[in-house]
Amino acid sequence: MFGYVRPPLQDLSAEETARFRRMYCGLCHTLGERYGQAARCILNYDFTYLAILLAPPEEGACSESRCAVKGFRKNTYRISDAAMALAADESVILAYWQLRDGVADHDWLHGLKYRSLSTVLEPAYKKAAALRPEYDALVRHQLQLLDKLEQENCDSIDRAADAFAMLLSGAAQEVDDPVRRRVLEQLLYHLGRWVYLMDAADDLKKDAASGNYNPLALRYGLTEGNWTAEARSEFAATLDHSIHMMTTAYELWDFGVWTPILETTLYIGLFRVGKAVLDGTFRPRRRGDERKISKKVEETT
Amino acid sequence: MNDPYQILGVPETATDDEIKKAYRDLARKYHPDNYHDNPLADLAQEKMKEINAAYEEINKRRSGGTAAASGYRGYGSGSGGYQSYGSSSSSSVLQQVRIAIQTGNISRAEALLANYSDHNAEWNFLRGAVCYRRGWMDEAKRYYQTACQMDPNNAEYRQALDYMQNGNRNAYHPNGQGFGTEICGANLCAPLCCAYMLCNGGYYWLCC
Repeated sequence: MFGYVRPPLQDLSAEETARFRRMYCGLCHTLGERYGQAARCILNYDFTYLAILLAPPEEGACSESRCAVKGFRKNTYRISDAAMALAADESVILAYWQLRDGVADHDWLHGLKYRSLSTVLEPAYKKAAALRPEYDALVRHQLQLLDKLEQENCDSIDRAADAFAMLLSGAAQEVDDPVRRRVLEQLLYHLGRWVYLMDAADDLKKDAASGNYNPLALRYGLTEGNWTAEARSEFAATLDHSIHMMTTAYELWDFGVWTPILETTLYIGLFRVGKAVLDGTFRPRRRGDERKISKKVEETT
Repeated sequence: MNDPYQILGVPETATDDEIKKAYRDLARKYHPDNYHDNPLADLAQEKMKEINAAYEEINKRRSGGTAAASGYRGYGSGSGGYQSYGSSSSSSVLQQVRIAIQTGNISRAEALLANYSDHNAEWNFLRGAVCYRRGWMDEAKRYYQTACQMDPNNAEYRQALDYMQNGNRNAYHPNGQGFGTEICGANLCAPLCCAYMLCNGGYYWLCC
């Protein structure tokens, strides 16, 4: 999706970082096993968190393989289970519809990337949609709603964010335990709301330059994508309310071995990302820049 | 009851002080103040009851069965309890809205408000409460603001607005740190980029 939910590495022990990586690699394998190699391209941290939230409290069995992305080094990954299969299916549906949305939002030339990727993903999507028809219908409906709100220049940040938040909250609809489902629905709803608002904040300047729809610019009357002190403080407060809804939901379910990763991400990571986005110091948008930063990390560690 | 020590997350060998500390931390986490108007407040209330009972049980066992008789009452079990919308309303419809909100029937509250034409201060306050339950935090604040403008002396409305503006400052944080985006030390970019773990970290790049 967007990449705003990330593991705050400096606050996680090596053991927890490795656990996160095993889930990340496990989801990659699950996508490959269920949907073929091409589907592995959609893998990202957001979907890894979805898999963690849906996962049982124990880590489960792991296996080893050599990974081309990691220079054919040996790599431990979590073996696929029902929760990972669900996360993989939902990830494929979400990724596909977001790509289709990208096609609709861009002209022929700029939409090329989205068109080609969605074509590659289409067989995987068809399979996932057949397996999870209800989730597919929900995603389709919510993205249509979001499109409509964008066309209407909706200035309610809650209404726009709600259309997206419902996508994530719906990812818990197949969870059997009613208490767990309530907890996950609330956590995922506010995670979706927070991600949507982060993305809008991150794109403020870009949207101001291109004239694209931005709910925050409309809601707070911002010019040229610049925050006023008052608007920024109001916006931070609304983000914090969502984070608080996430943390309070999180505390009502035992996430077992995933507790340290989730606790650190929710109580520390989200605030950091939010502050960086508001300060305009969040990660660069281009992959080349990210490589530079990765290199810097390697040099300094 | 399940093992009270397990509920408080302490071994049976823990000292009284360690037990008290564990209890206080849990009580702070599940306290009604931390679940103010929260749609999951009922689950937190259950947790709170469980924690209070476990603490009481341990105290009883350690004092030879006399603590229960001492009139002990745990955190969050007092009459203040979880947020209620029990104040008297200016109309029977708005009173029904309050009951619907209190019982978690947000759709009913919303429908009743939609059919109520007098958008007075209380209507705005209750509309704000419905928005909050739905997770529409910005709209909630705006309705509370309108309610306060229409009736500046109403303590209930002021309290709700104050919570939207400042309430999270006291929200539970496991390390006792402040809770908020603007108060976080943001030296993140490098540490958050996972140097060796990722292939795409949130992008749709063909990498595999």
